[in-house]
Amino acid sequence: MTPQILEIDQLSEGYIILITGLIIVFGSLIILSLFFKYGVPILLYVYKIITKGRDRKIKDITVAADEKFTGEIAAAIATAIHLYLHEKHDTENAILTIKQARKLYSPWSSKIYGTQNRL
Amino acid sequence: MKKILIIFGVLSLLIFIRPALGLNSVQTNTESTTIVQADEETGERFIDEAIGGIKQFYQYTGFANATSGHLLMIFIGIVFIYLGIKFDYEPLLLIPIGAGVIIGNIPFVAGNQTGIYETGSVLNYLYFGVVKGIYPPLIFLGIGAMTDFSSLIANPKLMLLGAAAQIGVFATFLGALYLGFALPEAGAIGIIGGADGPTAIFLSSKLANGVNIMADGTVVKNLIGPIAIAAYSYMALVPVIQPPLMRLLISKEDRKIRMKAPRAVSQKEKMLFPIIALILTTFISPSALPLLGMLFFGNLLKESGRTERLADTARTKLIDIVTILLGVTVGASTQADIFITKDSMLIFGLGAISFVIATMGGLLFAKFMNLFLKGEDRINPLIGAAGVSAVPDSARVVHAEALKSDPHNYLLMHAMAPNVSGVIGSAIAAGIILSFLG
Repeated sequence: MTPQILEIDQLSEGYIILITGLIIVFGSLIILSLFFKYGVPILLYVYKIITKGRDRKIKDITVAADEKFTGEIAAAIATAIHLYLHEKHDTENAILTIKQARKLYSPWSSKIYGTQNRL
Repeated sequence: MKKILIIFGVLSLLIFIRPALGLNSVQTNTESTTIVQADEETGERFIDEAIGGIKQFYQYTGFANATSGHLLMIFIGIVFIYLGIKFDYEPLLLIPIGAGVIIGNIPFVAGNQTGIYETGSVLNYLYFGVVKGIYPPLIFLGIGAMTDFSSLIANPKLMLLGAAAQIGVFATFLGALYLGFALPEAGAIGIIGGADGPTAIFLSSKLANGVNIMADGTVVKNLIGPIAIAAYSYMALVPVIQPPLMRLLISKEDRKIRMKAPRAVSQKEKMLFPIIALILTTFISPSALPLLGMLFFGNLLKESGRTERLADTARTKLIDIVTILLGVTVGASTQADIFITKDSMLIFGLGAISFVIATMGGLLFAKFMNLFLKGEDRINPLIGAAGVSAVPDSARVVHAEALKSDPHNYLLMHAMAPNVSGVIGSAIAAGIILSFLG
């Protein structure tokens, strides 16, 4: 008798776990997906406001700090960057060594053309 | 050549002489107390003892102790290795496990601290990480550091597919109860349907570890070996199990649905994901903390952009080391006298069914979701099959299957979303089962 009762008990508990488990799994993933659909954009927006403050119009931004920065300086920097990036010289090897010269055959000191040898 | 022959000859002579001498000395030690007076016939005694020594040695060899079970398991191990090499089914898992199965089934005489189930043996110490559930969280750390959650962040509704595939877990749980397993054992068997090896090992090490005592006073069975082997072998067989089900349940037109490319995800969102998901999921299911905590911690290491070194170690060296240890010890835990039982066969049957149910759950739920979605937002129901975890194999299978019906429909990125949410889902499911039954 007892094992049978136990088995029935087990099965009913199994069904409870089945239902609640599925609900919890679905529920938690739904919460997660909803949070990422709606919660995260809000978070990011809040973060943006906190870090940057409200977006200002260009005319409101003061340029007092940049008075010394004239167009000429900008042009000089731009040219320098341009030259650095595009018109660089070839990098040459600074180490100077005498290369082994290719020896061409030259008969000027050849022994076989000596006076003792008769051709 | 001559020298080699001489060296070989000398070595073989030494090898043949040594056991005879060594065993002789052992023999005299043991028998000196019993047969002291029999020293008149020393010549004959020496030969007798040598033969006795050889006989004793033979008693210790595998040949004397082999049973049909051992041979069968060794054959299975070789099949695992063959499958891994020949068909490329998860070779990183099947080859260590296959080698482990062979190691675990070499017959030996019990009591010499050799086997994996004998306390004090080296294999037993390595197996400790499986029994106590240490390896799975470390593997999850590596998985987290490997995984890119951006497709999931871009399309959060695909997370539901990962939940739908967990139907397999709970259906198998119920099936195991009907077959007469006790509640904790059934819970551990059910998690095979999560198609997640580390989770299955973690849960079975907590529930069906052969140590816990149930309410009615009986000790739960040790099912870690069968469950892990079933989970890993079916994970490796995902390319065989899933495609027929996809063709059965999804019509040709549906298979051709193209999904719009996921939006670009900013780095901030990627950084936020592990933190938020960690807090949310573990608040809901705290028992899954070791798994989910490590998973999202690993992902944070990857996405933070400041800890590339740690992430790199977690996803390469660390996970490799743990996979090696896990594979070999799980394989070795299939020692024939403990593994070949009716329960193991039932678990294998239930495992196959659970994979089928999980795949069907994912596919059907994707079709169900399509009822509410229109136009470009519609999802290709094939990606539902990736809701069973089995990262990244099931996503690859989905991709390959979609290419068969439309050679320009690339689903891999889309399939990764339910795939990784399947990992989260099965870890949550494990946590729920653990909190109910642990």
